[in-house]
Amino acid sequence: MGVRVMVVDDSTFSRAVIADALAEGGYEVVGEAESIDSLIKIYDECKPDVVTMDIAMPGADGFECSKALIMHDPKAKVVLVSSMKDEETEQEAKRVGIVGYVQKPVDAESLVKIINNVMAPDSMYKNLEHSAVDIFKEALAQSITRMTKTTAEFEDGTVGNQAVSQGITVVIGIIGKYSGNMIFDLAVDTADKMAKVILRREAKNREEVVSLVAEFANVVGGVACSMLNKKEKAFGLRVAPPSVFYGEATEVVSPNIQCQNVFAETDFGRMALSVGFKKGSVLWM
Amino acid sequence: MDVNSINPILDAFVNILPQLGFKTIEKKAVKVAESSLRSSGLIVNIGVMGPLKGAILIGMDTDSAKKFASKMMMGMEVAELDSLAQSAISEMGNMVCANACTNFSQSGMGGLDISPPTLLIGKDATIKLSVPKVIGVTFVVDGITIDVYVGLF
Repeated sequence: MGVRVMVVDDSTFSRAVIADALAEGGYEVVGEAESIDSLIKIYDECKPDVVTMDIAMPGADGFECSKALIMHDPKAKVVLVSSMKDEETEQEAKRVGIVGYVQKPVDAESLVKIINNVMAPDSMYKNLEHSAVDIFKEALAQSITRMTKTTAEFEDGTVGNQAVSQGITVVIGIIGKYSGNMIFDLAVDTADKMAKVILRREAKNREEVVSLVAEFANVVGGVACSMLNKKEKAFGLRVAPPSVFYGEATEVVSPNIQCQNVFAETDFGRMALSVGFKKGSVLWM
Repeated sequence: MDVNSINPILDAFVNILPQLGFKTIEKKAVKVAESSLRSSGLIVNIGVMGPLKGAILIGMDTDSAKKFASKMMMGMEVAELDSLAQSAISEMGNMVCANACTNFSQSGMGGLDISPPTLLIGKDATIKLSVPKVIGVTFVVDGITIDVYVGLF
């Protein structure tokens, strides 16, 4: 079934232009409203998946209409269509709960892209959530094999967002359509043994071991993100430079994110990897 | 990066904290450190990507963290740094860094993006960032000492 769209605009001409752009994208225009007066009634009658909303309208403007609509139906998906595009308008739109923003004059391509994004994020997020842990596991396995010429046994851990460090923790922020974190953790002794094999000598000092672990985690994160991007180009995932924490019993928490944990039993000891993403906002253009 | 270039982050800190109920925000000391830091207590790590890369960290000792979380939660008693207190502090970090991105963009550097916050809580931790230099700024916020570390390149 096609995506059902309702168009709110005070100008008959604008409604026609938007309706044409929508039709071109294969969407069905199921209702039109020209002011706040008929907005809720028509919305209830036509039950659209997405509402496009003009900003400048006599009487109640697009923000007021959007607020009224979202209050009426918190699940309403409103895309703002406006000739104004500045930071303040965007911020206000986000505060109101508007999910997308497209600039007038409306070009069909941008509008279609925005509506596809508005309609798609959940399935795309699920796709990421579903495949992330396996791909990070694969990236970890590959990296262990490539860098140390050894193999590891894997064990899936629980889902959660808290862990106690075994000694050294690398935190790598992930940025893209969905942002998240990868946390790589291992005991100092495990890190020392791995460093010795990779360096083919004893590490000079703790500093060198820590840098090597950071670089190792960075490779794992980078490889995993490019594998995920290959699966779904729109993820656009990139890794931020690693931060490494080491010291006594550090508790590591990722508030508001459900992380999936996986453990690798290696020749050097146990390594823990945890990865989680949060749902991002829709694309703004 | 030089000390002035972190102003958008400091402005964000000074801008956001009053919105969370804090009244006096004093900037105490600015220091430039190598890429290693020490922390005893709690630290929020937020990764940054875009034209600048690295991390922004916000740290405080455990007692300060409890006081800070309590203030954020309108004076509710915080005896332990439980998940609610942790979530409050990490949300502060998120708001400050998101606002910093907006400030950077207004001063002509758009396209910065941040990762969700990770909290690290430990007695005596060393933190090594993958950046050449870290700028640390100490703030005293309603009597609570907070360190903001910026490691961006």
